[in-house]
Amino acid sequence: MWVYEKKLQYPVKIKNPNPALAKIIMSQYGGPDGELGASLRYLSQRYSMPYPELKAILTDIGTEELAHLEMIGAIVYQLTRNLTPEQIKEAGMDAYFVDHTTGVYPSSAAGVPFTAAYIQSKGDVLTDLHENLAAEQKARTTYDNILRFCDDPDVIDPIRFLREREIVHYQRFGEGLRIATDNLDSKNFYEFNPSFDKRRPRK
Amino acid sequence: MTERTKLMQKIASYDFAIVELNLYLDTHPNDSAAKRRLSDSEHKSRELRHEYEEKYGPIVFRDSSDNRMKWIKNPWPWDLCEEED
Repeated sequence: MWVYEKKLQYPVKIKNPNPALAKIIMSQYGGPDGELGASLRYLSQRYSMPYPELKAILTDIGTEELAHLEMIGAIVYQLTRNLTPEQIKEAGMDAYFVDHTTGVYPSSAAGVPFTAAYIQSKGDVLTDLHENLAAEQKARTTYDNILRFCDDPDVIDPIRFLREREIVHYQRFGEGLRIATDNLDSKNFYEFNPSFDKRRPRK
Repeated sequence: MTERTKLMQKIASYDFAIVELNLYLDTHPNDSAAKRRLSDSEHKSRELRHEYEEKYGPIVFRDSSDNRMKWIKNPWPWDLCEEED
């Protein structure tokens, strides 16, 4: 279960609206490598994980991703406050606006709605961990690309924080992969799938 | 920056240390230096949370003894305005 804390993980206080920037940052809310996908990916993969350390990592990182989702929501919300229809049109946000006004809706920067097709839960320890390592790097690249378009320090600061978390999570998943292979036969890690096959792991 | 925001940022920084150390300890459960740092951060966060909740209302709504009016009240975490409406 979860309990809500009435606070952000890292402060978001953006003074100047910027709908063009909101449009691209939105991708980390509901885009292919965004925080919603990240939390669903890890929180769904937990159930078939055979090793307790991995259940812990997936639960704790999956939970932190929900805090990141909330930060991105706050950034998008604050960047789209007090706008005129002219500013919205000028920023190219009119296509989004017509369907959602300035409500926060999970979609990619190109307007594709969030889909579970962005994530995988394969029920295989090694496969799922590699999915997660790749996901953290893809999210890091997306934040790097967002930073190329940011010149407002109020936006750069929380985005840099989120980018850094991708690197830390990548590190933890790397250690998780090591824990998984330590439980498997080093001569053939792929001999059986410990998430499914009923075979006693070898040391 | 208001006193409220300053206090919340202090809490957020200790809470961040807690998140980070917890995650690290998932894969390094026997690191005693990290465990010590975790319990220091927890202690500091607890004290500051108590101060904040006394002054401004609940961060976590636990039960009916918590102040519901203050829980409902602005600002919510995404609100930009530092003053309460």
